[in-house]
Amino acid sequence: MNGSTIDNLMEIFVKISQKLPITLTIMVLSLFCGLGLGLVIAIIRIRKRPVSYAIATFYLSIMRCTPALVQLFLIFFGLPHLLMLFNIDINSWNKVTFVVIAFSLHMAASLSEVIRSAYLTVGNSQLEAAYSVGMSYFQAIKKIILPQAFAIALPNLGNDCIMLLKDTSLAFTIGIVDIMGEVRIIVGNNYGINEFQVYMVISLIYWVISIAIEKGVSYLDKRLNRSHVSISKC
Amino acid sequence: MSIFSWDFAISRFPDLLKAVPVTLLIAVVSMLLGLVLGLLIALCRIYKVPVLSKFAVLYVSFIRGTPMLVQLYVLLYGVPALFEVLNNKWGWSLSADRISPIIFALTAYTINSAAYQSEVVRGALNAIDMSQMEAAYSVGMTTTQSIIRIILPQALVVAVPNLANIFIGLIKGTSLAFAVKVIDIMAVAKIVSAEGYRFMEMYLGAALIYWIICFALEKLFAVMEKRLRRYESKMV
Repeated sequence: MNGSTIDNLMEIFVKISQKLPITLTIMVLSLFCGLGLGLVIAIIRIRKRPVSYAIATFYLSIMRCTPALVQLFLIFFGLPHLLMLFNIDINSWNKVTFVVIAFSLHMAASLSEVIRSAYLTVGNSQLEAAYSVGMSYFQAIKKIILPQAFAIALPNLGNDCIMLLKDTSLAFTIGIVDIMGEVRIIVGNNYGINEFQVYMVISLIYWVISIAIEKGVSYLDKRLNRSHVSISKC
Repeated sequence: MSIFSWDFAISRFPDLLKAVPVTLLIAVVSMLLGLVLGLLIALCRIYKVPVLSKFAVLYVSFIRGTPMLVQLYVLLYGVPALFEVLNNKWGWSLSADRISPIIFALTAYTINSAAYQSEVVRGALNAIDMSQMEAAYSVGMTTTQSIIRIILPQALVVAVPNLANIFIGLIKGTSLAFAVKVIDIMAVAKIVSAEGYRFMEMYLGAALIYWIICFALEKLFAVMEKRLRRYESKMV
């Protein structure tokens, strides 16, 4: 590999990196909306009221059994049609909105299962103990259950974050220029550079972000669980 | 133009169904090949084979840290680049154009699922007690024999739920195979819907097919898991 190729690769790296904020924005927004919606679904599934439980389970089944790409297309093409029925025109909306909606709905399904299993692991006895000292349901959830459930859910949350990051690579299919979209443009323009190298550059970028998320989560995990005493030390 | 045309959706639904075998073929073949490759990778890591285990760690990390779509493109453009180098060096005349898209897809999905499956297999093998291996040695089995006859059947039971998840993930993952020009369910949906500007009809049809396949598989794996666990003694 000669010097000019390396310069070229650096130039491409800088160009792709400039679109990184879009990828990260999509990711963070979808993560927070997904967490909110996922929490609601998890609570519905935990409380087991007949009708809402059935709806939530049906929703989970659809979301977990269809590819994210199909969901993205359905939201992008279907939502404007659907809202047109109610005379709401959203064709002027930014495309990023559609991606965030689609990925939020997608993430909510898997996050709700993460939250639910974490809640069930913490267990009802904690809730009862909170009641016994006179806390209300929401106080107990906020002060007793959530902090413990979060520590348990953290590794799975990290995995879902990485999944979401990788899913954002689909956003270019509806015309968003995120890092993947930029790569498509570079390849399309054909700067006389090997497409293979361009895709290696972007895989390195994704890889580095994934590793960063993983390390961040494991650091947080250690901090959150430092008060936890293993059974082996009893 | 009406918002949703049932006629269009129903009349073009068979087109989507015709692509189902392609999706299933990619998923099944790359699942099986990936399991074999994943087992080898897992064994390399468990037995800490000098160079290979380091390489395996890197490989698994890379595959799990990059999107499937990017991996498909890397392979699609990487193979011709590799062939060019080989041709120049050894004077071969390999041509990537002669490789059918389905082979590209199978290779990419095998490489991808092997990484995920190696983690599942590794976890399952580690879950089996070391005493099982000792017991196998004590009746005179070799390492290979005891792995095949004693350890693997037990590890498989532990691994089935996770393997099922990976397989369902693969089915959904094949929706990206358009990147290497395979005509699967998604590609058909795209082509047909572009003809009539009827996106909703085709994508809803595609979603329905994926849903039915995955739903059926989920039930199937639940039955399979029950059958595999029937020999385990119940906790009383």
